[in-house]
Amino acid sequence: MVTDKLTATHQFIEELTKHSGKAFMSATDIGQALRYLEENGIPNNKHEDYKYCNIEAILRKEFKTITGKENDLSIPDLKQNYVIISAYNIYVFNGKLHSDPFDFPEGVSISPINNASTEYLHNHLTKYAPSNGDALIALNTAYADRGMFLHVTKSFNKPIVIHHINSSEGNLFFNVRNLFVIEKNAEAQLVEFHHASNNKYFTNNLTEISVAENAHVNHTIIQDAGAVSYSINTTKVHQQKQSNYTNSCFTFSGALVRNNLSIAVDAEFAEAHLFGLFITKSNQLVDNHTLVDHLKPNCQSNELYKGIVGGKSTAVFNGQIFVEKDAQKTNAYQSSKNILLSDDATVNAKPELEIYANDVKCSHGTSTGKVDENALFYLKARGIGEESAHKLLLQAFAHEVIDQLKSDTIKEKVSELFEQSLQD
Amino acid sequence: MANEVLQEHISNDYKYGFVTDIESDSAPVGLNEDIIRFISHKKNEPEWMLEFRLKAYRYWLTLEEPKWAHIKYEKPDFNNIIYYSAPKQKKTLNSLDEVDPELLKTFEKLGISLEEQKRLSGVESRIAVDAVIDSVSVKTTFKETLAEKGIIFCSFNEAVQEHPDLIKKYMGMVVPYTDNFYGALNSAVFTDGSFCYIPKGVRCPMELSTYFRINASGTGQFERTLIVAEEDSYVSYLEGCTAPQRDENQLHAAIVEIIAHKNAEVKYSTVQNWYPGDKNGLGGIFNFVTKRGICLEDNSKISWTQVETGSAVTWKYPSVILKGNNSVGEFYSVALTNNYQQADTGTKMIHIGKNTKSTIISKGISAGFSNNSYRGLVRIQKGATGARNFSQCDSLLMGDKCGAHTFPYIEIKDKTAVVEHEATTSKIGEDQLFYCKQRGIETEKAIGLIVNGYCKDVLNKLPMEFAVEAQKLLAVSLEGSVG
Repeated sequence: MVTDKLTATHQFIEELTKHSGKAFMSATDIGQALRYLEENGIPNNKHEDYKYCNIEAILRKEFKTITGKENDLSIPDLKQNYVIISAYNIYVFNGKLHSDPFDFPEGVSISPINNASTEYLHNHLTKYAPSNGDALIALNTAYADRGMFLHVTKSFNKPIVIHHINSSEGNLFFNVRNLFVIEKNAEAQLVEFHHASNNKYFTNNLTEISVAENAHVNHTIIQDAGAVSYSINTTKVHQQKQSNYTNSCFTFSGALVRNNLSIAVDAEFAEAHLFGLFITKSNQLVDNHTLVDHLKPNCQSNELYKGIVGGKSTAVFNGQIFVEKDAQKTNAYQSSKNILLSDDATVNAKPELEIYANDVKCSHGTSTGKVDENALFYLKARGIGEESAHKLLLQAFAHEVIDQLKSDTIKEKVSELFEQSLQD
Repeated sequence: MANEVLQEHISNDYKYGFVTDIESDSAPVGLNEDIIRFISHKKNEPEWMLEFRLKAYRYWLTLEEPKWAHIKYEKPDFNNIIYYSAPKQKKTLNSLDEVDPELLKTFEKLGISLEEQKRLSGVESRIAVDAVIDSVSVKTTFKETLAEKGIIFCSFNEAVQEHPDLIKKYMGMVVPYTDNFYGALNSAVFTDGSFCYIPKGVRCPMELSTYFRINASGTGQFERTLIVAEEDSYVSYLEGCTAPQRDENQLHAAIVEIIAHKNAEVKYSTVQNWYPGDKNGLGGIFNFVTKRGICLEDNSKISWTQVETGSAVTWKYPSVILKGNNSVGEFYSVALTNNYQQADTGTKMIHIGKNTKSTIISKGISAGFSNNSYRGLVRIQKGATGARNFSQCDSLLMGDKCGAHTFPYIEIKDKTAVVEHEATTSKIGEDQLFYCKQRGIETEKAIGLIVNGYCKDVLNKLPMEFAVEAQKLLAVSLEGSVG
């Protein structure tokens, strides 16, 4: 059994090695990552963290060969199709930052990760996402050959929207590595928008984010990558003193979407907020893993994840809260709510608390059920048809997450996508 | 101040830590097919039983010890355990007079006087006791009274001899020998246990109870309990356990199986107080137990209540498979860990039938350097229409060196299911303490009061006799945990 698994991993690594490009990682990091990968293999459902998300099986079944060809896209078309008004728009094709000059606000610089200054790479890269612990991080560290570096030194109020657009022929697998560094006292709104595509590809995205002292980051991820896309999105955040990080993660489509969000609250008086909404249908597998690691005292975290699960899809929510020994006076809350729309759909929820400090207030709650019969009756009694009433209740359910978005244009866009996914 | 109180508490003796000087008859140390044959032969077992054991043993050899639980311990050396130890008996006992007086003294020390029971038999509230020492049943009381109603309550070994058809039918039905590592080990080497059969339409007139005691050194205790409740029957079953104080870690790997037929109700209560090890975490019992019940037919109900205060390491998940329509599963638990104790406990509720309901209330209390985890599974299978679950897991932390963890797994495959889970972790509120102290209640007592209130939901579910014991146990285990 064990040897089978390792053979599968080996074959996959061989395939990858054939197609990998130039790497920007240090040789030591790559070496460590490869060693971890070879020892542990690509995770399958025997791994506790991948119990409901068998990556190895998917790779073996769907990505036997990864000899896909990347297509080129032309910028004018894109600008026409993918633009969000009153925001800075940036385009990334198949994980590669497009080289067109952008009109950045002062204090923001963006470059392909290969061109990033070694000082930043040295100080931050792999610091928040070490290879030991997760084989997919190791995979990314060993083989990532593209990505971007974003550096924010001053506050600005328009959101930066990063459009991820993928186009390929055949099966394509690529590892994208991003690094976002938000400096002291800066305030940034970042939106990562994964656009729909008809091509079959697997992306292993990994973003490391450093949030310095008193910095405020509002980070939104929109997953709408289309029915045949497979993606793993790992976001590793490191928070300094008095910083504030808010993550909102929306998943609307994708054959497989695995969102790994982990936040290290590593200094006093920092705050983390996590919001999530996922709507699944057909045979989708959407797996949301969040981890808030409270390392220092007097911090707060708050989490709300909601799911509407239909068709034959499977939705997973695994939320971990760690409170380390030193992290006294921590307040950590977590709530996950799911609505099941069909008999063939599955919800797997695993909210976890691991607490080693005593003067804390932590709680989690999760509930799963159907649309509330009483509420439905109330609406129907007022002359609203069954279908509209049902829809209205789902809208109310979802908008608790959507409405907390800061930027109006983004809120509008997300609402639009939500309405669309209710129609389908 | 806090330290002094804590010290005082830590020096509290485990009052069941004595050893009884009874001659015992043991198997040689180690585990192999010959040992299993030896046990089977000692027990005078029929051929089919030996075969079951050997099958289980051969399967066990293929398994690896599971590592997923949130506990750290030194893996027991399975070849360094005495798998069979029995108080030496020369003949079958018929009356208490024939029981070894040393043994009777042991039970008196434990607070279960078998003689007393006999004398009080005219009194309304009675408990029938099956006492198990070093995994051999030594005495079952009230057997005759129960027999009048058609209730079978005897040692497992006796049941194998006298009711082989029932054992053959039900043994391994809920926990097959292929179930898990320790389940397989138990199936191979179990030495005795209790068997209880409630016939159709009978409401068992008294509480049935098993008292487990590990006495001999270097032994492991492997017992099996099998409870079968026929249609329209009811039984309340109690289980208590203690062990002597020793520097070594002793292994206790038991299996409890419950089968509830149509409209039957089984209530199973445990007060687990195995030796927890000393204040430095030396010694103590490894309590790795598989407990599972099945609501086989419609309208049946199984309820687990447990108060876990002992053992160095506890690893158990009393579970219910809700197969019959409208069946009900309940799990009420208080788990208290102190010093270096570790507990990874919880439940599994598997909803298969329609309109099945389950309730989980778990209260964890950690003090000292201990770690206390709740791990539970609620699974709603496809077709379990109208299934309902409510889970509440609260943790209380006392001191800054302990840990409290919650790992609930929730798997839902039916859209009509309603599943709720909530968990909180906190310490005793300063305001609550202040309120009590302001009214002249000492800190110690106030904590006892608050903790008992915190556990009330669970303690209320215990039968009278146990509730008193459990409350005292909590008070003793908690003394001085917070300064």
